[in-house]
Amino acid sequence: MSLLDIKNLTLEIDSQSGWIKALDKINLVINEGQIHALVGESGSGKSIIVKAIVGAISDRWRITADRMTWRGQDLLKMSVRERRKIIRSDISVIFQNPKSSLDPIVTLGDQLKEVILATRLEKGMFWNRAKARKKYASELLHRVGIKDHEVYMRSLPHQIPNDVCQKFMIAMALASQPKLVIADDPTRGMEITDKSQILKLLSRVNKVRKLSILFVSHDLLAISSMADHMTVLYCGQTVESGRMSQLRKRALHPYTKALLESAPSFRTDLAPKSPLSSLGGTIPSFQHLPIGCRLGPRCPRARRECVKVPEVRRIHEHTYSCHFPLHRDQK
Amino acid sequence: MLKIILRHVSLLILTLFILSFFSFSLAYLFPGDPLVNLTGIRDSSEQGYAILAKQYAMQGSFLSQYWEYVNHLFSGNWGLSFSSGLPLAEEISRSLAASVELSAYALIVSFVVGLPLGFLAGLRHHKLTDFALLTTSVIGYSIPVFWAALIAILIFSIQLGWFPLSGRISLLYDVPYQTGFILIDILLSDLPDKEFAFKDALRHLVLPSVSIAIVTCTIVMRITRRSVVEVMSSEYIQAAYARGLSPRQVFLRHGVKNALIPILPLLVMQFTTLLTNAMIVETIFSWPGIGNGLIQAIYQRDFPAIRAGMLAVSALVLTFTITIDMVIQIFDPAGRRPENATS
Ligand SMILES: Nc1ncnc2c1ncn2[C@@H]1O[C@H](COP(=O)(O)OP(=O)(O)O)[C@@H](O)[C@H]1O
Ligand code: SF4
Ligand SMILES: [Mg+2]
Repeated sequence: MSLLDIKNLTLEIDSQSGWIKALDKINLVINEGQIHALVGESGSGKSIIVKAIVGAISDRWRITADRMTWRGQDLLKMSVRERRKIIRSDISVIFQNPKSSLDPIVTLGDQLKEVILATRLEKGMFWNRAKARKKYASELLHRVGIKDHEVYMRSLPHQIPNDVCQKFMIAMALASQPKLVIADDPTRGMEITDKSQILKLLSRVNKVRKLSILFVSHDLLAISSMADHMTVLYCGQTVESGRMSQLRKRALHPYTKALLESAPSFRTDLAPKSPLSSLGGTIPSFQHLPIGCRLGPRCPRARRECVKVPEVRRIHEHTYSCHFPLHRDQK
Repeated sequence: MLKIILRHVSLLILTLFILSFFSFSLAYLFPGDPLVNLTGIRDSSEQGYAILAKQYAMQGSFLSQYWEYVNHLFSGNWGLSFSSGLPLAEEISRSLAASVELSAYALIVSFVVGLPLGFLAGLRHHKLTDFALLTTSVIGYSIPVFWAALIAILIFSIQLGWFPLSGRISLLYDVPYQTGFILIDILLSDLPDKEFAFKDALRHLVLPSVSIAIVTCTIVMRITRRSVVEVMSSEYIQAAYARGLSPRQVFLRHGVKNALIPILPLLVMQFTTLLTNAMIVETIFSWPGIGNGLIQAIYQRDFPAIRAGMLAVSALVLTFTITIDMVIQIFDPAGRRPENATS
């Protein structure tokens, strides 16, 4: 059974110019033990998906979905309290800006201890709790590669380097021993070495703990080495989804192809000094969304039919939404 | 940090200097002969005038006169009041203490009422509660202080008779002067009926402090509301929700402190507004404070009292404002969180 199963998730945001469909019929399935990549340019709505999943939503958002289940339980139908319980014990989020997602005036140690559930500690009388909690916290920090845990536990978020802060976030995410960790752009703005450390750390917990990871990023290079599956997002629409290997070998959607080609290391046939291909233009703002396929204005293959939203089509595990996918040419 | 202190102290000294200079010049700006204004002695003989002039150091140049004036100020010789004949230094420090006491209790009242309401409005942002509180606060903010005081007297002391009409304490009690704050003085004293005296003083305090607290209360509420709204929509609060904490946990553990810390200095600053309003309301309640004293002095053309009283009030407000500003800067160099400045 899949852990998280989202079908046709639509999220509208109340703005001055009326309700805007920030997410338009998103599909996302995450299975147990899987690293699933969610890729898209920045501004394509990745963080909004994350917020919709964990329920950190503002009251000016409207969410509808045909299906949004966590291990068979419907997330949208259950009470706020039940949902919070699931989030607290089963799903953890690593946010994109570690510093701004930590309380600036509470020490890191206290914030870490706050998310440790009593049920995850060794049994003991209540006077042993604080000690057990502290021990558990420092074990967690060791596991994510923080050595001076004493010092860092006493520090405030702004007093420590960015990558340590992100490791702290990961420790916090692992604290509740969740089934799924959602990492929203965890390596944004990091040095290469820090970046690869974080990535290694994540893939290690995936292997060792059989933990599923939803890895959200705009950085294909980071993702490709570790993810099994990939979902490509463009402007609030899922354009293509499938096994990583398959997508790399044979992308069907023009956007996926452009995305892959814009990262040179994916191309083996690249002649030296040949120009990089990419789509012209930029991602439209949510105030000026094109109708139909949102890639339309930038798509080299667009035709008149594209003003209608393309249906989701499926070839085995591989799904895509395009009227004129790339494999049609070969016929 | 030393730099900040130095900067503020020099600013304080400079402004106090300007103030004292202004207050010194007042004697010349009042209509009539400065010496007559200051002494109140109108038709003295030529000789008598010369003696007085010598006494008041009036015969030197303008600057040497000023120098004498400052010397007198520092040695506590502020002159005598016309009306009572008592030394002004003592009279003013007593009435100033009464005003400060009134403003301090009003500040407490505005915090006790304004802070919780501000939190409530902030948490119910853009909901009915929020709008209702905001509307009420606009009304409260628009009520003139003296009018509120008069209405309060009319309803609560004349109609209902719950609270005394005026004064600071019933004449039955003779509280010895120690700190100048009546509640503290009562507690320190060895009056036989301390408890009743305390209650009586409290009953006298209610109407004046509430009527000046109304405006400040609305200000406190709005500042708090703004801050709560801002903090509760920040990323770390969203993140705390996403960690599965309940709204209560999120608010108590991360909301309250973060909302309060940046606005605390702003709230304390309201004290000066209160003091100003207190001075207005004092006349209505015959509160023996500095505002009342100044009004009486103006009626009686008691120039030394006007001069010294104005200097005392403005010096107090100035010192308070500059000190608070200094404290803020010491703890918060770049307008960021206080903890940043511990080094
Ligand atoms: N609370 C919000 N209200 C209105 N618009 C929002 C809100 N949050 C995000 N957006 C808009 O949604 C778009 C996608 O945001 P985001 O999910 O952060 O993109 P990504 O994470 O893919 O970079 C942005 O263009 C942003 O303007
Ligand atoms: S549906 Fe049309 S516009 Fe959209 S990606 Fe396919 S070809 Fe391009
Ligand atoms: Mg994002």
